[in-house]
Amino acid sequence: MIVDTGNLALLLALLVTCYVVVASFLGAWQRIPALILSGRYGLYTVPVLLAISSAALVYAFVNNDFSVRYVAENSSLAMPVKYTWVAFYAGNAGSLLFIAGAFSVLSVLALFTLVKRLPYTAPFSTGLMALVLAFFLGVTVFLANPLERLPFALADGEGINPLLIHFGMFIHPPMQMLGLISVAIPFSIAMGALLAGRGGRDEWVNVGRLWGMVSWLILTIGLLLGSWWAYTILGWGGYWAWDPVENSALMPWLALTAFVHSIMVQKRRGMFRMWNLVLVAVAFTLAEMGMFINRGGPVPSVHSFAQSTMGWLFLFFMGFTLLGSLAAFAWRFDTLKSRERLDSLLSRESAFLAQNVLFLTVAFVTLWGTIYPVISKASQGLTITVGEPFFNRVNGPVLLAIVFLMGVGPLLPWRRANMRNVLRVLRYPLGVAAVTAGVLAIAGIRAPVALLALAVCAMAVTGIAHEWVRGTRSRHRKGESYPTAFGRLVAANRPRYGGYIVHLGITMLAVGAIGSSFYAVQRDFALVPGEEASLGKYTFRYVDFQEVAYPDRDEFTASFTVRSGGRELGVMEPRRSSYRGSISATRAAIRSTPLEDFYIVPSEFGEEGQAVFRVYVSPLVWWMWVSGPLFILGMVLAVSPRRERATALAVGLSRADRAQGVTGRRRLGLTATRRA
Amino acid sequence: MLAAILLVGIALGCAVGEGVPVLERRAQDIEKGIMCPVCPGESIDQSQHPLAVQMRGIVSEKVEEGWTGKQIEAFFVERYGPSVLLDPPREGLSLMVWLAPPIGLALALGALFLVLRAMVRSPASAAEGAQGDVELSEAERDEYFRRIDAAIDDDRGEGTEETTGRSSNSGAGKAI
Repeated sequence: MIVDTGNLALLLALLVTCYVVVASFLGAWQRIPALILSGRYGLYTVPVLLAISSAALVYAFVNNDFSVRYVAENSSLAMPVKYTWVAFYAGNAGSLLFIAGAFSVLSVLALFTLVKRLPYTAPFSTGLMALVLAFFLGVTVFLANPLERLPFALADGEGINPLLIHFGMFIHPPMQMLGLISVAIPFSIAMGALLAGRGGRDEWVNVGRLWGMVSWLILTIGLLLGSWWAYTILGWGGYWAWDPVENSALMPWLALTAFVHSIMVQKRRGMFRMWNLVLVAVAFTLAEMGMFINRGGPVPSVHSFAQSTMGWLFLFFMGFTLLGSLAAFAWRFDTLKSRERLDSLLSRESAFLAQNVLFLTVAFVTLWGTIYPVISKASQGLTITVGEPFFNRVNGPVLLAIVFLMGVGPLLPWRRANMRNVLRVLRYPLGVAAVTAGVLAIAGIRAPVALLALAVCAMAVTGIAHEWVRGTRSRHRKGESYPTAFGRLVAANRPRYGGYIVHLGITMLAVGAIGSSFYAVQRDFALVPGEEASLGKYTFRYVDFQEVAYPDRDEFTASFTVRSGGRELGVMEPRRSSYRGSISATRAAIRSTPLEDFYIVPSEFGEEGQAVFRVYVSPLVWWMWVSGPLFILGMVLAVSPRRERATALAVGLSRADRAQGVTGRRRLGLTATRRA
Repeated sequence: MLAAILLVGIALGCAVGEGVPVLERRAQDIEKGIMCPVCPGESIDQSQHPLAVQMRGIVSEKVEEGWTGKQIEAFFVERYGPSVLLDPPREGLSLMVWLAPPIGLALALGALFLVLRAMVRSPASAAEGAQGDVELSEAERDEYFRRIDAAIDDDRGEGTEETTGRSSNSGAGKAI
C-alpha cells in the first residue's frame, strides 16, 4: 500500500515535471505570466512528491519488504537499520531516485534565489532544470524503478555491498552524486540567461557564481571524502588512482574550477561573457559524462556499484546537452557581444584566462586518457590500458603550473601590471621559494621535481600570507587594532579572502600529494604472532590476532604495538573482513600525524595467525584530509552576500540603455571615470 | 610563519629512512605498472585479489633472478596481452595517447597568447569607451552621478575593492 503510494507519487512527479518544462518554455516564449507562474509552482511540488516516494522506499527497507526488487537486492534481514541510508543509493535505481530528489530540492532553492533577481531569465532556467529532472525521473520510472515489485516476496534479501559499510560511505556517494547533478544549476542559470537573450548582460553573474561555487564545494567535499575512503578501506595506501570513475568526477570539478574563476572577470570587468557560458556548458557535459561512466559506461573501472546497461541513455542525454548548448549559442550569438578588451598582456584578467586554459588542459588530458582505450579498441582493435603512470606524468607538470599560477595570479592587479611592480610584489614569495628549495636540498630531498614542487607550494603560501599581513598592517596604521584590522580586511572583500583560504587548502592538498607520491615507503612483512619488524623509524610487534565469525562475515583483527624512537605509540588494530560471496573489506590501522602516516593493513593469511601485512610510511598525507574545512570556510566566506544594494543599483541603471547593450556595472565605471 | 612550519614539517617528514631493500623497491616499481587482469583499473600493487598476490610473487622472483623491468613486463604482456600494462605503449599508433596532450597544451597556450594579444590590440575597444555615454541627457547624467556618489560613499565606509575598481581609473594601481 505505502509502496504503491510512493510509486504513484513518483509517476506524478514525472508528469508534473514534464508540465513544468512545457509551461515554463511556452510561457517565457509567449510571455504568458500565468503559465510561467504555474510552471514555477509546479516545480515547487516535485520535492514533496519525491519525498513521498523516498519515504515509501525507506519504509520498505525498514520493514524488510523483500517483495520490492530493489530492497531485496540491496538489503537483508541482517542489515542494521542505519545502513538503510546507504542501501537507498547503493544500487542504480535507488541512486537515480536519490539524484532526482536531491536535484529537485536544489532546483527549488535555486529558483528562490533567481525569481526576484532575474525575472526574465528565471522561466527559462526553470524549464531547463525541469528538463534535466524530467530525464532522471523518466529513466527512474520507466527503466529503473526502485519501487518495482517482484512477482513474489523473497524470504531474505541479498544484502548490502560490504565495501559500502564504512563511515565514509554515508557521505561520499551522496555528496558525489549531489555534486555532479548540482552542476546543472549554474548551467541552467547561465543557459537560461542565454536563451532569454540576456547572456550579454551581467545580471545572471552573481547568482550563477553563487551556484557555481556551491556546486564546486559539494564536488570538492565528495572527491575528498572519496579519496579518504579509498585511503582507509581499500588497503593500498593510496587515495587517488586515476580510475575512470574518479576521473569522471574530477573532470567536471576542473571545468567548474575554471568557471568560478573566470566568472569573476565577468563580474568585475564585463568580459568573457561567451567564454563563461562555454565553461559552464562544458562542466555540465562532463558531469553528465561522469554519471554515464558510473552507470555502465564503456570503460572498465573498480567503481561498479551502480552498474547497469542504461549508460548509453546518459550518453544520448550528454549529446543532447552539447548540441542544445551549441544551438543556443548560435541562436543567441548576437546578444553575447562583450567588450573583449585588455589593457595589458600582464594583468589579472590574463592570469585568469591562463588558469582556465591550464584547468581545461588537465580536464581534457584526463578525458583523453580515460576514453583512449575505447578509441584504441575501436580504431585499431588494440586493447590497451591508460593508467596511473600516464596521468601522473602528463597531468603532474600542468598541475604544478597551476599551483605556480595560484601563487602569482592573485598578486597581479586588474587591468594592467608592469613587470617591475610584479617582481616587487613577488619578491617575498620567490625569496621564500628559493630558501625552501635550499633548506630542503640540505635536508636531503634530492628529487628535482619534488624540490621544485615544494618550492612552488611555499611560494603560493607566502604570497597569500603576505597579502593578509600587508592588508592588516595598512589597516592597523589607520588606527585599528590588529584583530579588528584583520577581521575588517576580510569582511571588506570576502570573495578575495575567501578565495585565499581555498587556495591555502589547495596548497595543502598539493603538499600532501607531493609528500606521499615522492616519499612514501611501503613494504610487505610476513609475520607470526610475537614477531617484530621495523620500517623507517617505526618498530612494530605483531602481538596477537582474533578471529570472529559473524553471520555474514569472518573478521580477522590483528593487534600491533608500535614504537618509534624508543617511544610507545600504542596499539594498532588493522582488520580484514571476509564476507559471504568472497568479497572482502580491509580496514587499515593508521596512525596519522602532520609529518607522516604510519599505516598497517593485512593482506594475506596463513595458519594460526600467520599473515602478510603491508606497511606504509607516507609523509604529509595528513594535510590532505584537513584541507576540507578550509574549502568550506573559504567558500562560505566567498559567497556570503554583501553589497546587494550597489549591485541592484547598477543593474537598475543599465536598464535605461538596454538598446546599447551596455551593462550597469561598466556604465557605472565609465561614468564615474569620466567625471573624475 | 606557516611556510616555516611547513618547511620544518617537510624536512622532518622526508627524513624517513630508506629501510626497503633495493630489489624490493624495484619489484614495487614494476608492480605499480602492471594491471591486475581481473580487477580492471587496479595495479597488482594495489589489488588484494589472489591473482594479484600471485603475480606479485612472480615479479619478486624474477627481480631476484636478475630480470629487468622490460623483460618482466614482456613476460606478462605475452600472457595477458598489452592491456596488462598500465602505461600505454609508446610506439605505433598508441604513441598518439602520449603526443596529444603536449601538442594540445601547446596549441591551447598559443591560442591563448593570440587571443590575449588580439584583445589588447582590439582597435574597436579604444573607441568604445568614448561612445558608451553619449546618448544621455544632462538631467539623466546628473541623476546618475548623484546615485553613483551615494553608492560609492556607502561602500567607501567599508573600503571595498569593488569601489576602487569602479571609481578610480588608475589602472596600474594595485587593488586592495
